[in-house]
Amino acid sequence: MTSQRQALHRLGGYAAVCVLILLVPLFVSDGYLLNKFARYLVFGILSLALSLSWGYAGILNLGQAAGFGLGSYCMAMALKLRTIPIQTGAGGLPDFMVWNNVHTLPWFWQPFHSYAFALLAGIGVPVLVAFLIGWFVFRARVSGVYVAIITLAMLVVINLVIIDQQRYTGGFNGITDLTTFKVFGVEFGAYSVSTYYLAAVILTLLLFLGLALMNSKTGLILQAIRDDETRVRYFGYDVANYQNFIFCVSAGVAGLAGMLYTLVMEFASPTFLAVPISLSIVIWCAVGGRASLLGAALGAIVVTGVQGSLSDSKTFLDTWMLIMGALFIVVVLFLPNGLISIVDVIRDKRERRRLAAAAGAPRRTAVVAPSRSAAR
Amino acid sequence: MNSIIPQISVGLSIASILLLIALGLAIIYGTMGVINLAHGDFVMLGAYTVWFLQKQFAMNLITTLPFVFAFVGAVGWLAERMLIRHLYQRPLDTILATWGLGVIMQQAVRLLAGAELRYVKMPDFLINPVHFFGYEDSAYRIFIFALAVALLIATYVLIYKTEFGLRMRAITQNRDVSRCFGINAGRVYALTFAYGAGLAGIAGALVSPLKSVAPDMGTGYVVDAFLVVVLGGVHSLLGTVASSYVIGQADAVLASWSDDTIAKAVVFLGVVVLIRLFPQGLFAMRVRRS
Repeated sequence: MTSQRQALHRLGGYAAVCVLILLVPLFVSDGYLLNKFARYLVFGILSLALSLSWGYAGILNLGQAAGFGLGSYCMAMALKLRTIPIQTGAGGLPDFMVWNNVHTLPWFWQPFHSYAFALLAGIGVPVLVAFLIGWFVFRARVSGVYVAIITLAMLVVINLVIIDQQRYTGGFNGITDLTTFKVFGVEFGAYSVSTYYLAAVILTLLLFLGLALMNSKTGLILQAIRDDETRVRYFGYDVANYQNFIFCVSAGVAGLAGMLYTLVMEFASPTFLAVPISLSIVIWCAVGGRASLLGAALGAIVVTGVQGSLSDSKTFLDTWMLIMGALFIVVVLFLPNGLISIVDVIRDKRERRRLAAAAGAPRRTAVVAPSRSAAR
Repeated sequence: MNSIIPQISVGLSIASILLLIALGLAIIYGTMGVINLAHGDFVMLGAYTVWFLQKQFAMNLITTLPFVFAFVGAVGWLAERMLIRHLYQRPLDTILATWGLGVIMQQAVRLLAGAELRYVKMPDFLINPVHFFGYEDSAYRIFIFALAVALLIATYVLIYKTEFGLRMRAITQNRDVSRCFGINAGRVYALTFAYGAGLAGIAGALVSPLKSVAPDMGTGYVVDAFLVVVLGGVHSLLGTVASSYVIGQADAVLASWSDDTIAKAVVFLGVVVLIRLFPQGLFAMRVRRS
């Protein structure tokens, strides 16, 4: 009974947050603010993606920004090719290619003339990269800390390659001067309500889809793998397949977030897949609550929201990172399941009191630690 | 022949730096099971210490080395005592905590020393190339190589020939039983961590004249060093030495064929493929697990 009620409560919480997020444009009409909020939502999606693999399956992906950046570049490539000819240089070539003496469009840019392909690639490329890495890593039964290191190395390498191949990727500058994304007659400009709604709707869908996935059999097996990999293997499940599956899903969601981010920021840059943003994702996820999709998303929204509302000056940002580092350590030490777990703590207290009142005497046995497993 | 010798020499010096960083990582991971993502920032801290000492006291790079080792080691000791010892039960969380620690160190340096690139002078008598067997080579590279070998021998002696090393190995094998025999595990852990950090600091000091010094210089090194550790397996000095040599040489050779970035990408792919084949590292030994 209680677990059913808990599930209902959780659904209610998710729904409430989603409704709030969807209602924001009714009260905010300033394009600049909407753009800022849409950015926070994108970070929320990104943090949710990490929660899927880290919080639910125990795969700590320190290279989460790789999928994000790749998705962002796919979107930017498609938009760049549609930019009006004045900006794209002679023969429809992107301007930075002209500057770098590239005379024909490289083969891997060609298919991006089609939006459909670009949208598929924005999710497909991160998934493919994740699948290849995952195939090698999980098949070898590498887990825990090694996965973290290999994913971090993957991120650094992809980042270096993109900066290095300036002729094809725009190097340090990234891909700028993009046209506005337009589909079915709707324009998704960076400062428009439609882009905000797009981000909000995608976040809502992902929250509920993620919840459904994690309550399905696959989701339960994933959580069992997180808690005890060996035992699940002895039950006869192919652990590596499940791990690779969620690793790919997580990368795909990150790619989706990256595509949205290009719409919101109007450019793609190698900083999108640099180590600092990957670190930020882990911090949001940890601070909000890694084992809760809503917690992870809210963690990102709240942390970036507070950061954005304070200041944008350079010294402030440096000090802010210092504070974030300290906050991160404190959360890791004392609240391994993040701020959202405070809700659980309060609920457990209430439950305990209710049970105590019902039984007429305090009963210690009724207390179940809800989140020990995720702390491992 | 003429192009091979300098290339081996470049590879050797890359390998020497990698070795010093990876050695610290491997010792820390092998002994206490902690993945130290702040290790690259200890490297950075070492480089900044040299820069600071040179600027303030006009010290020679070589005379700064003991101070670098002591200072970075002390920071490592503090980090272990204040932070890491609370997380021995949660290995995955040590990654997070040390990452947070790395951010704090980076930002602290950025705020204190400024974000701009800093430059460190090479010792005067090591600037000129030396000639041997008809070849000439950078004296500084030879110095790096010699120092790395010396520190490797020192580490070997420390682990296998001293009382402290005996305690360390005992704890690695079985922490609880060692404690029953009166070994103060906390003290050994703290000193081990300090020693690993100190080695990273020395590595940072050694690279400082070759590359510009910046607050985020550590990231690249820590990733390379982790690849070394992953490839070499964590439980053998020989593995660390051999895999730093392999990765250092591969880096140098591939970089001379194409460029640094492609070299890094190829080395990374190579390591990922090798992990599939040898999940325990190339030089695995049978050891007690967890």
